[in-house]
Amino acid sequence: MERERKKYLELSLCCVAAAMTVQGCGASSDSQKIEIEIVQYKPEAANYFKVVEEEFNATHDDIHLTISSPNDAMTILKTRFIREDYPDIIGIGGDINYSYFVDAQILTDVSDYEGIKDINQGYLDIAESLELVPVDGTYILPYVANAAGILYNRDMFAEHGWQIPETWDELMALCEEIQAEGILPFYFGFKDTWTCLAPWNAMAVALAPADTAKQVNKGQTTFTDEYRELSEKYLALLPYGPDDPFAYSYNDACTAFARGEAAMYAIGSYATPQILSVNPDLNIDSFVMPASNDKESRTLNSGIDLGFCVMDGCENKEAAYEVLDFLYADENIQKYIDAQNAVPCKTGDFQLSSMLDGMLSFIEAGNMTDYQDHYYPSEMAVDAQLQTFLLEQNVDAFLSKFDTDWQRYNRDIIRMVKAYEENNTEAENYEK
Amino acid sequence: MKNENDRKRTFILITIPILALFICFNTIPLIRGVIYSFTNFKGFGKYDWVGFRNYVDLFSDGRVGKSYLFTIKLAVVTTIVVNVLSLILALGLNSKIRAKGFFRGAYFLPNILGSLVVGYIFNYFFTYILPALADMAGIDSLKGSILSNPNRAWIGIMIVCAWQAIAMNTIIYISGLQTVPEDVYEAGGLDGATGWKQFKYLTFPLIIPFFSINMVLCVKNFLMVFDQIMALTKGGPAQSTESISYLIYNNGMSGGQFGFQSANAVVFFIVIVAISVAQMKFSGSKEEQL
Amino acid sequence: MKNTTTAVKPNKTAMVLLILGLSTIIFPLYMTIVIAFKQPSEMTNSISGILSLPKAWSLNNFREAMEVTDFWNSLRNSMVISVLTVVLSIILHSLMGYTLGRNKKSKVYNFIYLFIVSGMFVPFAILMMPLAKQTAELGLANWFGVILLYVVFYMPMNVMLYSGYLTNIPLALEEAARVDGASTWRTYWKIIFPIMKPMHATVAVITALAVWNDVMTPLVIMAGSSQNTLPLAQLNFQSQFGTNYNLAFASYLLSLIPILIFYLVCQKQILNGVVNGAVK
Repeated sequence: MERERKKYLELSLCCVAAAMTVQGCGASSDSQKIEIEIVQYKPEAANYFKVVEEEFNATHDDIHLTISSPNDAMTILKTRFIREDYPDIIGIGGDINYSYFVDAQILTDVSDYEGIKDINQGYLDIAESLELVPVDGTYILPYVANAAGILYNRDMFAEHGWQIPETWDELMALCEEIQAEGILPFYFGFKDTWTCLAPWNAMAVALAPADTAKQVNKGQTTFTDEYRELSEKYLALLPYGPDDPFAYSYNDACTAFARGEAAMYAIGSYATPQILSVNPDLNIDSFVMPASNDKESRTLNSGIDLGFCVMDGCENKEAAYEVLDFLYADENIQKYIDAQNAVPCKTGDFQLSSMLDGMLSFIEAGNMTDYQDHYYPSEMAVDAQLQTFLLEQNVDAFLSKFDTDWQRYNRDIIRMVKAYEENNTEAENYEK
Repeated sequence: MKNENDRKRTFILITIPILALFICFNTIPLIRGVIYSFTNFKGFGKYDWVGFRNYVDLFSDGRVGKSYLFTIKLAVVTTIVVNVLSLILALGLNSKIRAKGFFRGAYFLPNILGSLVVGYIFNYFFTYILPALADMAGIDSLKGSILSNPNRAWIGIMIVCAWQAIAMNTIIYISGLQTVPEDVYEAGGLDGATGWKQFKYLTFPLIIPFFSINMVLCVKNFLMVFDQIMALTKGGPAQSTESISYLIYNNGMSGGQFGFQSANAVVFFIVIVAISVAQMKFSGSKEEQL
Repeated sequence: MKNTTTAVKPNKTAMVLLILGLSTIIFPLYMTIVIAFKQPSEMTNSISGILSLPKAWSLNNFREAMEVTDFWNSLRNSMVISVLTVVLSIILHSLMGYTLGRNKKSKVYNFIYLFIVSGMFVPFAILMMPLAKQTAELGLANWFGVILLYVVFYMPMNVMLYSGYLTNIPLALEEAARVDGASTWRTYWKIIFPIMKPMHATVAVITALAVWNDVMTPLVIMAGSSQNTLPLAQLNFQSQFGTNYNLAFASYLLSLIPILIFYLVCQKQILNGVVNGAVK
């Protein structure tokens, strides 16, 4: 009996021992250096960050930088947060997750960072307005932005002599013209629900107030009031797309556009690498979605694609800033925007991709407005609701569901906003 | 007597550490999850207790209700399809054929292809190939992609689920068929039982235990369907294919509804356990009758 | 099934049906292989285009896929995790299955049986966050923690299979050994464990297959450890804004090979295993 039990124990010990030997190959790091770890959420930029990491480490003796670009970074970050294993810096987008992180008070104020003065104020304002309730300080340093509108096949446009539309009526007329020539004006890949948001966001910047969501949270308006024109115009685009846009995925749409099956594709600048992988010779340009008939009201739909936040647990803020200085060096930003067709958030003389030619004047003038969906909670699945709407084409049903669902999914936020408003008016009254 | 004590002691000594491991990594996290279901926890940061609000919401949430209906419909139909097809396949693979080993290996393949591959290929098939075939054959109703039609998309998911699941079920049926003694067929042959009659009265009753194992595994797998949804439709079109697991994962993990979806998961867990226990009891009584 | 009386001829209907059915497997497999050899610029939405043979049969995609996934390291991690999980599962689950299968009449053990089996139905999503926290607290946020979790996750199904199989093994075998004065422990390892060999093969294949393809557990538990398994590394091919299907397919074909070999090796054992495990 004794002996057998020993055997059992030995067997399990063997297993553990075998396990340990394999684990022994982990890298050991130099304990003298300050460790800075960045987790950034854009896996498509992994190569760029690998180079940055190597260059930084080669030129800095006192700091050791690690950058990881995992897939599904949000899941990874959330699981790391729950076990209180915080990286020093996180690279995330300016969307509702950022709003939640600010609210959860896990980010640190970076308004004392020197480089902040070189960042385009437009993007700092966008970041500011993402806070659920106004908070003192700055919590994200915008790095690069993306822009959404309409991508078009430049050669095809030149060949037929089509003009870039600047108003909604011009766009409709152009679609008619293209269709008359037997060419498909737009390609849509609505099978992937998130792509339904691209034209929606691009039109919303001209047709609804930028802070619609916030106004609704304060009880000042409803989506039914603000989104009606937007919804109706979205439906008007459908006849100019493929017969059954819900059959095609984002990937199908990119392939079709790359193969010249459509003249235009209402999507963001982020789609160009995928399109070019299929057809590297395609000559793509872009223009701002002309959703309104008022030329002057046009504004570029652009948001923070990647920004850096320093975590509250970061022990060495100076070292973190040194890393950020390196990331914000002009030549590094230039390398990033070359690789990703991105828009820099830093002011300065950067060479932008030719695919952004049509949007350049807006970028230079700082005339941009954030994506509406950066305010939508992801669990409300506005993308799926939009897909339903485009299928059923019932504006009233869509808008009223939007409003009721909004109240339901945001009630904790709405309560917080109301409490904040009450406190502030009280404070104001008190001061008076 | 000494032997009896030794036996009991050994059983206890085996049970305690293994059960402890199970409780540590299954029961305790489950209890922690249940606790979260009474909060508005987002998955990080601070949270408040909300009492039974999540549970009350659950029963008034149209989306959750719809996902239950969809999941149950999918599970029932897929379970039937898979069991019928894998029984036929098992009968075929078990009959006198050439290259048995090759066929058995080939029919196992769908089980191991990664879901990215399966998703891409079946998307392509439903979007481009099937409509083209329908066009050639002149079947108008199939000219559009079935995945883009809210009333039909579940059929596409059913087909892929079945395609992947048939392999395992077939293996279990094949082994069942091999427990049927040859003399049963011989005796049946004398009574004139051949073909369908032979199957219905002789073969099937003898493999009922395998049938019930397959039923439990199928119902469990298809009620918890997730991978195929992610690969094919991501819940669309028009939210018609959101399974319960899809909602729990997507809104709870990726979205900020961790607390609410924990409540959903708790209810779902109770529902599946109830269904499975009922099923095992039912097939248990069937087996006893024989 | 030895044929003794009628039907000496091979079953033609069955053969035809099987070959027809095979097309549902050959076709996707053909597509996978063709796409794995093509370049992104050869991808199109036209049917003849996608089904055509690649312009060149070059192994570059496979080479690049191996580079991107850091193939040999990821493969080693996947192998270590799979093998250790399978070994531990066979040892622990068979012991547990034996104990529970031999004590079906005891109310306590019967409750433990149902308790463990019901663990099969816990949605992973609800366990994920608590497990992420708990493994970190215990210092198990690494691949060893992943193995422990797998041993727990697959315990319900494996215990069900083992204890079912046990009902088929006559108690008399053990009693004979007991009369000779052998302890229960010794009897188990000397007699019962070897007899369950076919079931070990079944458990090995089912468990290995599940572990081999699993993404979520290593993703959540090993997050930030910079150690990859093959499925984790394969995530590199897809992102929301772009997926390189050609590299991905090449990589999936590569990772399919080890598990296919493992299945083929275990195939015959599985058949025997399921027979005896399921029949009461």
